[in-house]
Amino acid sequence: MASVSTGVPAERLPSAEAVSVRQPTVSGTVPELLREAVEEASHGAGTAPGAALRLLRGAARVAVAVGRRTVAIAALAALWEILPRLELVDSTFLPPLSEVLAAWRDLLLSGELLDHTQASLVRSLAGCGIAVVLAIPLGLLIGWYRPLADLLNPVLELFRNTAALALLPVFVLILGLGETSKISIILYACAWPILLNTIAGVKGVDPLLIKSARSMGLGPLRLFQKVILPAAVPTIFTGVRLAGAYSILVLVAAEMVGAKAGLGYLINYAQFNFRVPDMYAGILTISALGLILNQLLVRLERRFSTWRTS
Amino acid sequence: MKIQIQGVGKEFRVRDAHRSFTALDEVDLDVRAGEFLTLVGPSGCGKSTLLDLLAGLAVPTRGRILLDGVPVEGPGLDRGIVFQQYALFPWRTALSNVEFGLEAKAVPKKERAERARAHLDLVGLRGFEDRYPHELSGGMRQRVAIARSLAFDPDVLLMDEPFAALDAQTRESLQEELLRIWQKTGKTVVFITHGIDEAVYLGQRVAVMTSRPGRIKRVLDVEFDSREGDLRADARFGEYRHEVWTLLRDEVAAARAEEAVSVG
Repeated sequence: MASVSTGVPAERLPSAEAVSVRQPTVSGTVPELLREAVEEASHGAGTAPGAALRLLRGAARVAVAVGRRTVAIAALAALWEILPRLELVDSTFLPPLSEVLAAWRDLLLSGELLDHTQASLVRSLAGCGIAVVLAIPLGLLIGWYRPLADLLNPVLELFRNTAALALLPVFVLILGLGETSKISIILYACAWPILLNTIAGVKGVDPLLIKSARSMGLGPLRLFQKVILPAAVPTIFTGVRLAGAYSILVLVAAEMVGAKAGLGYLINYAQFNFRVPDMYAGILTISALGLILNQLLVRLERRFSTWRTS
Repeated sequence: MKIQIQGVGKEFRVRDAHRSFTALDEVDLDVRAGEFLTLVGPSGCGKSTLLDLLAGLAVPTRGRILLDGVPVEGPGLDRGIVFQQYALFPWRTALSNVEFGLEAKAVPKKERAERARAHLDLVGLRGFEDRYPHELSGGMRQRVAIARSLAFDPDVLLMDEPFAALDAQTRESLQEELLRIWQKTGKTVVFITHGIDEAVYLGQRVAVMTSRPGRIKRVLDVEFDSREGDLRADARFGEYRHEVWTLLRDEVAAARAEEAVSVG
């Protein structure tokens, strides 16, 4: 084709048409807000007073945002501290937060907490990681091959509706009390959301995109690589994020049965020996771990699905 | 002749009935090289089916379609399609979408970017290379889609009601621009529409289809001394428009009657 010149009449320039700007993410984290504030400030860098004002305004915005995010947590912490101290609840069963935090610090300093956390993380990540490696290819295969999907669907429906923890005794029975059964049950629980989301992702690809790619002469393999797979990625990552949450949930239960280390073991063991503050310290650690893992996965998911319109 | 459609019929099997559904019946139509042909017909007359056949995405039940004298046997990069719903890949930027067909054609990477950029320029989207489809308006998305179909340099551009989903103003400006691009590139264009104005405005020839099962009722030559300026105000535009309208009126009525029967 002949080379293309640049003459475009002004009235046809696309700027005349409405452009939807990428929406700001709704749940910005604190560092993101800070960055926004700084960016906002640097926009008006032309005049010094203006910049200072903008920076101030940005800082105020961050403060408000941080305040709004933490107020409920702070209230909960205050209640936890005050209620036992006022003897409104029995401090034997619910020690004040400060005591729990002190116990947490002792556990941390003795190195005990780190050992348990490590043991838990290894199980959780191993189970979840293997699930990712196995379930994604399997899901792609099932989603792509309609006959296979039809064949397997009843079995999938049956298993997805069976609570993973109900099978824990079976895993222990067959694989023993060691690491294998723990990692296996986590693997099992994590595999379902990944598998089902992958299948749904592949099946849910817009037929028009497939038609469009086919019209450009793409064969089945390249169609899969260039259209099906990228289209399914966000749905697959939603599955991975769910699996991350499951891995922590199942982990704790698995560690309460015949483990010698791990946060689940710590919680259970502390309760058994009436080290109540230690028990709560373990619970807090699990919460924090779940929160961090989820945040990481949410970020990862967002990275892979920026193109998806909300 | 660029495209020869000879006695083409297309039937679909209806899932829960024993009879089959005839979408097209004995379609005969020739498209000359480099011409802009619009195909207009009542809704449900099989226009899109005909386009699928031209694209090689479906196989005719009867008859044959020749492209440069060779029977169409599947999709290929000698034909580019522009769909009504854009069909852009949402995970790719505008530039990367335009590159898609070039990747399929195995054009070297560096040349791909160059050609894609040139074609975004051609449709007036310079500076929007890195936008994702959801960051673009409907009109701009369709521009990207047109650029994508032109970039791999097909001889024939097949367009399936490409402007039907756009607002009137955007549609008019894109029509005008399409004519400019067509004149510049010399492609053969087959443009499907249900809009009479659009058909007359764009087409050198307007092929009017009957209601289902679709056949070509008449092919009308549309001649203007010049397409510059406000063509729609030209007295001859009105005459052509009326002629197509008269041809279509009976077909639309027939299509309605058919619908009423199948619904009632």
